[in-house]
Amino acid sequence: MDNEKLKAKDFITIGIFTAIWFVVEFACGMLGYIHPYIVAAYVILLPLAGAVPMMLFYTKVEKFGMLTIMSVLIAIIMFVTGMGYLGAPLIILAGLVADLIAKNGGYKSFATTVLSYSVFCLWICANYFPVIVTAESYRHSLIDGGFSTEYADSLFSVINPKTIAVLFVLCFVFGIIGAFIGKAVVKKHFEKAGIV
Amino acid sequence: MKLKLDPRTKLFMIFVVSAVVMMSATTPFLLAVRIIMTIVPVVLLIIEKHFASAIRFLALYVIALVLTFRLISEESTGFLMAVLVGYCGIVVQFIPALITAWYVIRTTKIGDFVSAMEKMHVPDGIIISLAVVMRFFPTIKEEYMSISDAMKMRGIEMGGGNVAKMVEYRMIPLLFSCVNIGDELSAAAITRGLGGKVRRTSADILKMGLVDYLLVFIFSVAMIIFMVFKYVI
Amino acid sequence: MMNAVEIKNVVYKYKGGTEDSLKGVSLSVKKGETMLLCGASGSGKTSVIRLINGLIPHYYNGEVSGEVNVAGFNVAKTELFELAGVVGTVFQNPRSQFFSVDTYGEIVFGPENIGLAPDEITRRAEMVINQMDIETLMGRSLFELSGGEKQMIACASVAALLPDIILLDEPSSNLDWDAIKKLREIIKIWKEQGKTIIISEHRLWYLKDLVERVIYMDSGKIAHEWSGDKFMELTEDDTNDLKLRPTIVKEELVRIFENNTGDNYGIHLDTLETITLKGFYFSYHHKTFAIWKKPYSADDGKDLNLCIPMLTLPKGKVIGVIGKNGTGKSTFLRCICGLEKDCTGSIICDDMEYKKKNRIGFSYMVMQDVNHQLFADSVEAEIMISMKEKNEKRCHEILDSLGLLACKNTHPMALSGGQKQRVAIASAIAAGARLLLFDEPTSGLDYGHMKRVGELLRELVKAGSTVLVSTHDPEFIAECCDYLIRIDNGFLIS
Repeated sequence: MDNEKLKAKDFITIGIFTAIWFVVEFACGMLGYIHPYIVAAYVILLPLAGAVPMMLFYTKVEKFGMLTIMSVLIAIIMFVTGMGYLGAPLIILAGLVADLIAKNGGYKSFATTVLSYSVFCLWICANYFPVIVTAESYRHSLIDGGFSTEYADSLFSVINPKTIAVLFVLCFVFGIIGAFIGKAVVKKHFEKAGIV
Repeated sequence: MKLKLDPRTKLFMIFVVSAVVMMSATTPFLLAVRIIMTIVPVVLLIIEKHFASAIRFLALYVIALVLTFRLISEESTGFLMAVLVGYCGIVVQFIPALITAWYVIRTTKIGDFVSAMEKMHVPDGIIISLAVVMRFFPTIKEEYMSISDAMKMRGIEMGGGNVAKMVEYRMIPLLFSCVNIGDELSAAAITRGLGGKVRRTSADILKMGLVDYLLVFIFSVAMIIFMVFKYVI
Repeated sequence: MMNAVEIKNVVYKYKGGTEDSLKGVSLSVKKGETMLLCGASGSGKTSVIRLINGLIPHYYNGEVSGEVNVAGFNVAKTELFELAGVVGTVFQNPRSQFFSVDTYGEIVFGPENIGLAPDEITRRAEMVINQMDIETLMGRSLFELSGGEKQMIACASVAALLPDIILLDEPSSNLDWDAIKKLREIIKIWKEQGKTIIISEHRLWYLKDLVERVIYMDSGKIAHEWSGDKFMELTEDDTNDLKLRPTIVKEELVRIFENNTGDNYGIHLDTLETITLKGFYFSYHHKTFAIWKKPYSADDGKDLNLCIPMLTLPKGKVIGVIGKNGTGKSTFLRCICGLEKDCTGSIICDDMEYKKKNRIGFSYMVMQDVNHQLFADSVEAEIMISMKEKNEKRCHEILDSLGLLACKNTHPMALSGGQKQRVAIASAIAAGARLLLFDEPTSGLDYGHMKRVGELLRELVKAGSTVLVSTHDPEFIAECCDYLIRIDNGFLIS
């Protein structure tokens, strides 16, 4: 039998973990209601909180396509919930590359899993795309409304190519940290309980 | 009157609206087009008898719209004002997408989504996974409720003041439950023929009606107007 | 005539298992036969079911030898989806076996998978809905159905594939009295249609006059075989020896479940010490008046999900709570242990009054799904979480009294169901709870395990706790309950 290809069970597992991942994202998103700036902390919170389910996920499927499909699902859900689709190419690219990296390690090697997860985390940056795109028009409306140009610029100094690069780096770094924590938790609980 | 839109029409609406919210309305004419596009899903919500959410969205939109214009037309300075303008700006900018998405999610059965995707030739694997995602949101909610009850009984909701423990106590039992349910679900689904070589079919026969075509037309025109004004002129 | 199922000398070991689950099982089932598989948990019943529906070896990997033929297919060489139209399986847990979110979608799920034409699918769905009389369940979300209703949909979903062979794996585990009777009706319909039916089950009474053959399994082997009639003639002593639940439910217990007027099942609260529950009113849709909620009183009766002005419970006894599913048993327990914040009411015990939040410390509920209650990475740590002052000695005492000391370093999730239950009890004791609540502790348990839970509750009572247990397990009530109270639509009946 062909054990390399994804089977019905794997598709179900992928679905389950995507749902969990979204719930985690939603929980972090709740914090965003307190203040929009917390949204910026997504890049730190999500890679950390999402690491535990993801590390478990890596042990559950171990076949090529698991991350790619997950990223496609994320893109579809983002689309349907009105969060825009400009980020879709980034999401799917991150998923595909992460998948390839993990495949390289046969989905077993810890080093490639860590790398794969932190690459996968880069999709989180897609959440910021709408903000970046619309920032420009917001700046205009501020200036039209009588705010001084300097003031508007100072507000938006945060959103520039440099900070976006910083977000990517943060995502990646916390992805690595998260992966280590996640792996430790999987060892502590799931391996000990014998379900991995 | 019972209005049943084709899910494909709904997906197209989201597609257009999500694109348009990314583009700023620079002239009053464009703004008008945009407002019309926002009104359509509100009307649809009313037709489908989701009055409360329709009114809530409408009120939010109108308030944000009025505030934006009032604030911008007057001499306004200061940090607080900027933040307020910012909030209103975000609402005006993105709420059309939010309303449309809300409408679609509230009025479409998951089965319809699935058949729509089957019609659009999305691969079976992705459809299965997506259906599972949808089915699992309520499951996770149920499981989480029980877990949080259990935590209350033992007085460990706050994890003894330790954030990591707080997350751990919630996540670990949840993951165990989900993995178990997933295993049983897979077994039950496979014995009912999931994963076969034949392509899945769908019990629902989707058909585009007059209203579907009308809506597709309206939204296409709106999209074109925006594209033309934004990039051609 | 060809046999529907032919199992030849199968030996099977689960992946990672230490012992063979099946040790040479041979079995043939005639076409149109209705057969019961019984035996203790772990005797191999479920493995036999899995052999027939092909989950062994296609889904559960392991070492298997021997041959299985089902309706002419060699199972090992047939893909699972090819078996889908031939063998249908109803599983134990109604919560986890459905794939869709709405009822209709679930029924058409199977036919959609095998790629039938849309009008054929609709035709089959209508036929099944008619046969089972479940028109009223259509168009609803599966998440709002009761366990019994979910199981009906599961049966319908299997039937829509028109399999000749139907397997039921402990289908009644999570069902109440009425739902079990409905299940019996469905099996009857299938039997009349001439389907081959194999049922693995612990509860035997509802299968009376349905089964033609009974197979008794013991540690991976077929140990006994009876004809259906002969089996039902077995006396209680016989079934006890076989560690099976009785084949008939005692007359007085039937009355309790069937009848809505409660008769006095031994109520004499003379000199006993008591726990009094006072003023428990609760509704799930409590209207808010501006900013404060109007407190409920007994006058609001009809609008309430729970209405108990006063209830006196004997201290140090096991008290059974019965009532149909969805009539307020769980609400009752949840209110007592303080999980419903809006519930008014206080518990009075030893001249102390426990209100609101204090109720949580006073009482503790062991949930139906204990998996939700286990948080730590070892049994010992689990108990320690519950202790206000960490005391290793006391912790070990508790574990020892429940026979758990040997596995104090094991991960709670690696334990068996019964052990998990005991860990939950241990943490309740460690937390100093005096009123222990159990929500359906015996669902899906075989006779031996059920009996052990009964004994455990008796021991808890002896040690000074009071136990309230919600159940619809007649044999369990007979086993250990001193008193019974019935809840019906939030009102206390007896």
